[in-house]
Amino acid sequence: MSHSGYHPVLDPALAAPFPEAVLPVLRNPQLRKNVAHAIDVIQVKRGKLVAEKTDWQALRTAGAAIREHALENLGAYLTQFEERCTAAGGVVHWAADAAEARQIILKLLREENASEVIKIKTMTSAEIQLNPFLEAAGVRTYETDLAEIILQLGEDEPSHIVVPALHVNRSQVREIFARRMGLKDLSDDPHALTAAARNYLRRKFLEIPTAISGANFLVAETGSVVVVESEGNGRMCLTLPRTMITLAGIEKVLPRFQDLEVMLQVLARSATGERMNPYTSVWTGVTPGDGPQKFHVVLLDNGRSSILAKKTERQTLRCIRCAACMNGCPVYRQTGGHAYGSVYPGPIGAILTPQLMQMHHAQSLPYASSLCGACYEVCPVKINIPEVLLELRSQVVNQERGHAGRFFDPMYLGLRIANMIFSRAWLFHTAQFFGRVGLKFFTRKDGWIHSLPSVGSKWTQTRDLRGLPKQTFHGWWAARQKEAR
Amino acid sequence: MNAPPTSRERILDRVRGATQFVAKGTGQLAGAYGELPRGYVRKGRLSEGERLALMILRLREYDAEVAECAPEELPAAIAAQLGASGMHKFVAPAETPSAWLAEGFDWKQDRGLTSAEIEEAEGVVTGSFCGIAESGTIVLHHTAMEGRRVLTLLPDWHLCVLRASQVVETLPEYFARCEQAPRLATYISGPSATADIEMTRIKGVHGPRFLHVILVRDGGQ
Repeated sequence: MSHSGYHPVLDPALAAPFPEAVLPVLRNPQLRKNVAHAIDVIQVKRGKLVAEKTDWQALRTAGAAIREHALENLGAYLTQFEERCTAAGGVVHWAADAAEARQIILKLLREENASEVIKIKTMTSAEIQLNPFLEAAGVRTYETDLAEIILQLGEDEPSHIVVPALHVNRSQVREIFARRMGLKDLSDDPHALTAAARNYLRRKFLEIPTAISGANFLVAETGSVVVVESEGNGRMCLTLPRTMITLAGIEKVLPRFQDLEVMLQVLARSATGERMNPYTSVWTGVTPGDGPQKFHVVLLDNGRSSILAKKTERQTLRCIRCAACMNGCPVYRQTGGHAYGSVYPGPIGAILTPQLMQMHHAQSLPYASSLCGACYEVCPVKINIPEVLLELRSQVVNQERGHAGRFFDPMYLGLRIANMIFSRAWLFHTAQFFGRVGLKFFTRKDGWIHSLPSVGSKWTQTRDLRGLPKQTFHGWWAARQKEAR
Repeated sequence: MNAPPTSRERILDRVRGATQFVAKGTGQLAGAYGELPRGYVRKGRLSEGERLALMILRLREYDAEVAECAPEELPAAIAAQLGASGMHKFVAPAETPSAWLAEGFDWKQDRGLTSAEIEEAEGVVTGSFCGIAESGTIVLHHTAMEGRRVLTLLPDWHLCVLRASQVVETLPEYFARCEQAPRLATYISGPSATADIEMTRIKGVHGPRFLHVILVRDGGQ
């Protein structure tokens, strides 16, 4: 965060590994307090509203099944979406990767002679790093979601996918707004801060004729796009401009309009602890006389189709970006989002980011979890995140142990020796014997080892180790059998 | 030489390869879709009175103002709300019944108003397609009774007429009422709000800050 002198890096190709990236956060008590406060508020609200739904588990089951069905038949549903959206006056573009999506969007903006563009919060645009690209190409981008304004004006990065500025508190927001909007006398009352954002954006909504949005859902049956929001900035961007460009991952498609009856119920409750978010907009291509008269959809692959091909990992793409997994995660609660080095933090980020990077970057993320399973329990579309984490961990190990340079790495060396010992009974018994004899010197009277020399000290520096028992289970069993005879 | 594959072809090939795509007929796809589990609550269980009471409760929880009236009292109820607002400049959709356009106010009906003209209005009066009691949601399909999207967006004050017969209990019941998917729809659950600063709920960011609902007791369904 800029206030404390370091800038978070959310490009997985450049970010430090999680254990390193987390250090500035752990040393920042203000940030940790802000994150914990926000998470606690959401969790209480979510808990209450999920508890009142007697059919919550049935909704999760239906949500998971609809998303899985859409993915299994993604080719059919994508072409159906394209056909219906085109018939309704939209133009569909396909982008194989981030660079292609950026070029398509820039080309569309050039055709509009756009030097400025207003944006609805979209994590997909952050994924392809659209804003810095457009700014470099001479197009000014105006984020319009309150949290995104805070981050854009504060030159900060999102740390959460639903409440991206939850790590910033009111006095920090006041400082940013006062400085960047030239409002010296601004108070730190959230009402005043919100009003400042309203005034800052009002003219821009009315005057800037080009807008960029993401999509919460694409509906194959109708070719419609769905955006879910709270503030009305989304409705402004969807209604007032001449030209609308929607960037959406290819996995966002739902088979039918009616499927929203499940998805909207689970999304609002999971994301913000509301029965329904204040505003949901559905639109289909172009409607004469109502809203933008030019409409483009950019369908983005960027690694998604390769996730789709893998049996265990495919479920990652069911995600509807509600953030319930990060709100429920004991690791995220301590670290916030920046340590994940990606616009997608938390448990879903820990599985999504390395996969979007084709396992070339962010290999530390599958380890940023205690595998407690809280994320799976709250996920409204039943993504078994721990299962995918384990699968990715095994891929990371398989990649690493192939490296020639890792041959004498103490961990891999140790594991190879352990493998040899554990697969031969006589070696195992011999090792147990020497272990007992060797560790005896270090075991205190209370049965615990409090300090070990050399490599062993890495363990005992922070925790004690139980001494080995006098008798092994095998020994005890053999003695017992003998007695019985 | 064949032209190199477009991104569209490349993506679709990869997607189909990834899902062992077999050229399923639409019938087969529909069959698989039809078998998806739907064990959640679709039909509500409340009586009509309870359903309307829940709708009113939810709206009030969002700080929306709710008034009730009989069908023949509607024009008077609208006039009373307008009067109490202290405002004068109002807009209304093209096909608003003339009885709703109370006298003594400055009305502009939307027959192609510009955004600037709508921005000048202080309030807007519209009909609605549906109300969902469980979540206190007002559904607009943006017909000529409900107004174009911009009409219910720029004015700071929105008075919405909802008939008791339009109120359903659950979200699935709304979808069951859509004989055809709407081309445009907005679901409004309380006035515009944000909780982006320290999770403190602030009413009124960019959309209307004030939502008023007149519930017309038209004898239910």
